[in-house]
Amino acid sequence: MAEALQKKLKVEVEKYSQMQKDVSKGMSARQKLETQLAENNIVKEELDLLDTANTVYKLIGPVLVKQDLDEAKATVTKRLEYINGEIQRYESLLKDLEKKSDNHRELLSSLQQEYQRAQGLAVGKV
Amino acid sequence: MTEKRKIENLGAVVRLREEHQKVVKDCESRILHWKKVSDDYEALNDRLKTLPDQLSYDIMVPFGPLAFMPGKLVHTNEVTALLGDNWFAKCSTKQAQKIVDHRMKYVKSELDDLSKTAKNFEARAGLVKELETISSNKGGYVDIREDSENTDIVVTKGKQRKAHKPNSKPKLDAVLHLKKEVEENGGESEDGGSGKDATTKEELWARLDELEKLEELQDEQDRLSYNVDMNGEDTSSFSSEEEKEGDAAPPENGLGVKPSWTSVPHSKAPPSSDRKDEDDDDEEEEGGGLPTIFFSHATEPKKVRINTGKNTMLKFSERKEQKDLSKRKHKNGHNNGHSHHELHKITTPTDLYRLFVDVKNGEPVPRKSILKSRSRENSVCSDTSESSAADFEERRTTGRSFSHEDTTPSDTSDGIAEEESPTAVPLRPASRFEAFSGTVVEKDPMPSAVPHLTIAAPALPTILERRQEEVAPDVAPPQQAPKKLSKFKAARLLQK
Repeated sequence: MAEALQKKLKVEVEKYSQMQKDVSKGMSARQKLETQLAENNIVKEELDLLDTANTVYKLIGPVLVKQDLDEAKATVTKRLEYINGEIQRYESLLKDLEKKSDNHRELLSSLQQEYQRAQGLAVGKV
Repeated sequence: MTEKRKIENLGAVVRLREEHQKVVKDCESRILHWKKVSDDYEALNDRLKTLPDQLSYDIMVPFGPLAFMPGKLVHTNEVTALLGDNWFAKCSTKQAQKIVDHRMKYVKSELDDLSKTAKNFEARAGLVKELETISSNKGGYVDIREDSENTDIVVTKGKQRKAHKPNSKPKLDAVLHLKKEVEENGGESEDGGSGKDATTKEELWARLDELEKLEELQDEQDRLSYNVDMNGEDTSSFSSEEEKEGDAAPPENGLGVKPSWTSVPHSKAPPSSDRKDEDDDDEEEEGGGLPTIFFSHATEPKKVRINTGKNTMLKFSERKEQKDLSKRKHKNGHNNGHSHHELHKITTPTDLYRLFVDVKNGEPVPRKSILKSRSRENSVCSDTSESSAADFEERRTTGRSFSHEDTTPSDTSDGIAEEESPTAVPLRPASRFEAFSGTVVEKDPMPSAVPHLTIAAPALPTILERRQEEVAPDVAPPQQAPKKLSKFKAARLLQK
């Protein structure tokens, strides 16, 4: 009885750890997106400051590609929107993950209690 | 237990401190980083400034990590600036400078935020340090704990306001109480009451009691002086009122009582008859017929006082006096003298209570309040009615019987009822008489009163004289004025 509980407990713990990893991944992705968001905001501002006289290049790999100012602006704006969307998605994902992890945690705790009780009983019996 | 908690607190506090320190360190590192960035930008700015000074520069161009090559720097005004996220823009140095400035602003703002947080955390760390010392009792701090039992205050918000003024309630009561007295006396109590506000509740109450007594005495005096004219009818009416209400209007009482006092000598018969009719049970012994009854300390006969609580005292006494007079015609003299003597004895409020003892079933029972005279006869006030217990009883019975016979049951019942109960019970004259008989057999007061009387007699010649004067002649109003003065003197003399 105690052994079965132990196994169960292990399984549950693994699941919980997995969940925690997912949560952390989501968190890091979100952070990245946030930095990109900030950067793109700066770029947008800079581009607004520039006039058409300046040429805008985009770095694609080792190549600097000439870009039109307006195009650049549009691209940056689109990127910004994309980043925002990604962030929201990640947020919702994180929420779900957290909920799941909480539930799992409760389950774990209950299992632990049972396990301890069983152990106690076993000790008593012994 | 406390030690365990202390240890736990210590551990928690230490951890808190550590966390705080971590945050502070992090802030510091970030600040350093940003400072570096800002320095770099400063250098860049300088370079951009000086770059367009020359058309071309001869420089050693780095060729890989270890080689250099002599070369020239051209297009000094053209700069490709990184805008972020792999975006570049070709612009002049001036424009580049603008960009740099822009970025500098951003860096500065970041730096400021970081420094603020660092400061905050430093403060927190300091607090935590103090907390650590407190929890470990190293710094000599003491944790003060107080079990909050202020449920009353919490529960009753409204009462809280009252609590702000702890004396508010008692003050009010005192004021009310005093008001009554004031009406009777005319303001003395008010003064006393205002003064009381400053004192505590208990003091207030004690003061009130004292003032009440004083007022009563004074009322008697006043009544005596005021109600020279008003007699019989007034008194009778008063008596009835007093008996029933106990809180008769002071003026009424005063009026009623006084005339009784003053007029006693004059119209002993009529008032007595009236009184008898009324049968002031409420009124005490005050011997309505003894105009010369004086309190030892108030030269006024008790009878006046004993009547109902507030001002009716005088009345009762007067009425009783009248009744008693009629009764006394049977026995008097001696009793009256006793009563007078007893009255003499009243020098302090305590005397009142000592003298005014209800005689129930032949035993002196301390009256709850002088105003409600059960045994009018017993108490000094009832002196007017009967000084000695036996005499009182007889007188009462006789008087009552007379009253009953003469007057309607309502009247008698009033008188009797007061003594026994506020309600007038026409039937029970006999029992009432007995109960009230207040044979002034105030066993306790009587014996004390008697010797007092004897002793006091010589000591208070004035009072005696007055009494005699009153008995003989009509109580003159002026007497009351001097009585007031002599009251205290008499008291002093007595005491001496």
